[in-house]
Amino acid sequence: MSILANKDTRAVIIGGVAGVNAAKRMAQFDFLINKPLTIQAFVYPPEAGQQKEIFRGGELNNITVYGGLSPALQEHPQINTALIYIGASRGYQAAKECIEAPGIKLISMITEGIPEKDAKRLSKLARQHGKIFNGPSSIGIMSAGECRLGVIGGEFKNLKLCNLYRAGSFGVLTKSGGLSNEAMWLCAQNGDGVTSAVAIGGDAYPGTDFVTYLEMFENDPATKAVVMIGEVGGSLEEEAAEWLGAQKRRIKLIAAIGGTCQEVLPQGMKFGHAGAKEGKKGAGSARSKMNALREAGAYVPDTFGGLSKAIKQVYQELLASGDIKPEAGIDESLLPQLPPSVQEVMKQGEVVVEPLIRTTISDDRGEEPRYSGYAASELCEKGYGIEDVIGLLWNKKLPSREESEIIKRIVMISADHGPAVSGAFGSIIAACAGIDMPQAVSAGMTMIGPRFGGAVTNAGKYFKMGVKEFPNDIPGFLSWMKDNVGPVPGIGHRVKSLKNPDKRVKYLVSYVKNETSLHTPCLDYALEVEKITTGKKDNLILNVDGTIGCILMDLDFPEHSLNGFFVLARTIGMIGHWIDQNNQNARLIRLYDYLINYAVKPERPVPEKK
Amino acid sequence: MAKILEGPAMKLFNKWGIPVPNYVVIMDPNRLSQLGEANKWLRESKLVVKAHEAIGGRFKLGLVKIGLTLDEAIEASREMIGTKIGTAEVRQVIVAEMLEHDEEYYFSIIGNKDGSELLLSKKGGIDIEDNWGTVKRMFIELDENPSIERLTELAVEAGFEGEIAERVAKISSRLILCFDNEDAQSIEINPLVIRKSDMRFAALDAVMNVDWDARFRHADWDFKPVSEIGRPFTEAEQQIMDIDSRIKGSVKFVEVPGGEVALLTAGGGASVFYADAVVARGGTIANYAEYSGDPADWAVEALTETICRLPNIKHIIVGGAIANFTDVKATFSGIINGFRESKSKGYMENVKIWVRRGGPNEAQGLAAIRKLQEEGFDIHVYDRSMPMTDIVDMAMKS
Repeated sequence: MSILANKDTRAVIIGGVAGVNAAKRMAQFDFLINKPLTIQAFVYPPEAGQQKEIFRGGELNNITVYGGLSPALQEHPQINTALIYIGASRGYQAAKECIEAPGIKLISMITEGIPEKDAKRLSKLARQHGKIFNGPSSIGIMSAGECRLGVIGGEFKNLKLCNLYRAGSFGVLTKSGGLSNEAMWLCAQNGDGVTSAVAIGGDAYPGTDFVTYLEMFENDPATKAVVMIGEVGGSLEEEAAEWLGAQKRRIKLIAAIGGTCQEVLPQGMKFGHAGAKEGKKGAGSARSKMNALREAGAYVPDTFGGLSKAIKQVYQELLASGDIKPEAGIDESLLPQLPPSVQEVMKQGEVVVEPLIRTTISDDRGEEPRYSGYAASELCEKGYGIEDVIGLLWNKKLPSREESEIIKRIVMISADHGPAVSGAFGSIIAACAGIDMPQAVSAGMTMIGPRFGGAVTNAGKYFKMGVKEFPNDIPGFLSWMKDNVGPVPGIGHRVKSLKNPDKRVKYLVSYVKNETSLHTPCLDYALEVEKITTGKKDNLILNVDGTIGCILMDLDFPEHSLNGFFVLARTIGMIGHWIDQNNQNARLIRLYDYLINYAVKPERPVPEKK
Repeated sequence: MAKILEGPAMKLFNKWGIPVPNYVVIMDPNRLSQLGEANKWLRESKLVVKAHEAIGGRFKLGLVKIGLTLDEAIEASREMIGTKIGTAEVRQVIVAEMLEHDEEYYFSIIGNKDGSELLLSKKGGIDIEDNWGTVKRMFIELDENPSIERLTELAVEAGFEGEIAERVAKISSRLILCFDNEDAQSIEINPLVIRKSDMRFAALDAVMNVDWDARFRHADWDFKPVSEIGRPFTEAEQQIMDIDSRIKGSVKFVEVPGGEVALLTAGGGASVFYADAVVARGGTIANYAEYSGDPADWAVEALTETICRLPNIKHIIVGGAIANFTDVKATFSGIINGFRESKSKGYMENVKIWVRRGGPNEAQGLAAIRKLQEEGFDIHVYDRSMPMTDIVDMAMKS
């Protein structure tokens, strides 16, 4: 048996992430005692229409978030309890709605920092409607073996340690959330556990007082004694004493009161709870509360440390009088285990999971990313540059100093080629249309292909093939290419020619050949090919794509990585163009009519649709 | 609870039509002479100068000067500003018109569970405690506004007569409006004075507490609450309050000079029982502290370092109940970092640390803090099987 929450309790949670976390904890308890899910719905306007995943053991439930209370109650008429987690500024309105909703009997408010006036109004409203308003600032309500409302009881492991899977004989009433858990633990250790535990919250004006709950416990036959933990401030403990002393009560009351230290501390000193503050002339002092309770017949240890002994003593008395029958403990191993997550099981090596993807270049699971095993910061410290990172991530090798100098130059000379080329022009048009950087740069990026910048890979690929298959047979290579591929990738230029050479090509070739000791079979082969092709036509020179492709093959980069150098380098340029257009606040552009040949049919009537 | 100073309280009174004397709050005495040129009342009235700080017993400390001319008031301000009282420093003074008056009344209103209570007496002033029997009370139900007729009846019952009774009722009505609309928890006006020649009333002194949790609906609250323990907050307290206002969960800290046992305790409820246990065993606490609601580790680390810097402490009690959702491992990692940092700065010599805690990830948290033993800390670590406050007993016996 229990008070407030039981097997039939079904709850709606008003609030966002804190509420969802509580729902998860509540579902763990439902799983422990094999009860259907307590939580039925969430109400949280910002996330209306979403569903939250709540596991009851291994069973996955999708709980709907509603934009308002009424649709939630319409869909789930079985809801009889509301838990308020929403922020303090919206707490009053949310709780008021719940109090006024006919089906809801119990409203427990977890939100902290509710203005006192709001709490007083809610309390009054609840009384008028004959409802129970618990809190604000309450950690929750626990009925052992029946229902958990809120995160009260803590971890799953703790639920078992406190015997919360079955009812005991002790009720628990506290202001503090942490102490409600501590008290449940003490009742399990020194007695037979709890029936219900209620945290009423530490605010100055809790919605429901100790006396109301004592009365409920008095009427709950399973509850034989109540552990009440109060503190300095207010008069709830005095009222409880008055209730206890007013007539003979069935239940025994054990009470601990915090705040005796107030006697030696400065007057007006504030503790952690808003309500824990002594009034003028010692009203509400811990000492006066303890005295009142003792006079009324409660067991009141001098300190919190004495609580264990008092519970044990009361338990022994109840056993001796036959009010409580000793109950055999439950074998811990019969209680369900919370199903572990895949990660936990994997850690223990008890399950095999086939990986979805595999990586061989980079790992960010440690304190910082590692590229092919090398920590990024260490690479920086030892003077490596972006060229070396490219080598590690694209080729899993640290380039030599000479090699990285070449890579750096390739990126530098390919970074941009003016606004007129397809890539830059694409990015500029997008920038002028007000498109954000990633999309505008992607627009330029989509231009990279067989006719623009995308020849690097194929140039490298075929020249490498030539070196291998037609080592001393350029004509054989050229005729094979003509038969199988078409024009040789990397050969030919629209404007440049033998007489008007491409400076970038000349520089790269001379740098690689004269300033480095790189072995360049591909490049040499391509230059031989150029000698033949330029003999046929002046502009069939080795172009920049071809040059880069060959050098990269000679650097031993994987064939399919080659276009990446153009993509990477040109991204720098396209970002530059986007920034440039934005800095100028450039206007939307469109083609002028005179740049278009409208080779269209003349104007004519639309025929009737057949 | 948030106590506010006289200046902000006067401003709120003025807003709700409760008569106040002319006043200014200044930080710079030179400003007062300029204000004197602009305001006739400063030149022509007798003035009172009071330290505008949360310091108890200002009169005895010489921080209230009365019956002054403008020049004397400037001189008094000059003397007062910068005065150090313990850890506190007078930074501002309030200069108000000293109203020649015939009678002093007592008005107050205090919130309670069901509404509030209005208290009235014709015998206000410094002797109010002796005249407590003359106080007449009226209970005001939540969200109710008593009629002028009812308030006039109360005034008459308290001994006011004729036009004065009517005016007292009107002022009471405004006081109730102010209390209600400003989310006040208590307002005490003592004295409210009357000069009968021109029937002028004025609230000469006020103590007002507002509900700081309600600040989200008061755009014009341009003040900060002040300390309620008879002295302003120390710098360390202010720092922890700043952190507290920025984080999820909370960290709280109050210094108690001269104590030997420092508290680094968790939970609004449990922390009080730890303080009680120290006092009950004849110990002296060096502070009150509390962290709860699963605060960020860095906030707990800051609190830890603040506590380690307390002078002359012999023990630190890292206590707490079995937490519901505060992660023991995460919050303890903040405590561990705080201890290490403090030790490296030379604090914590001959300080014994006593730990008892339970809650989410308790095993990992306790194992981690236990490892501090290997780093030369004098630390004693216990889990949930140790009764909560028994570590205090052990500390006091050691």
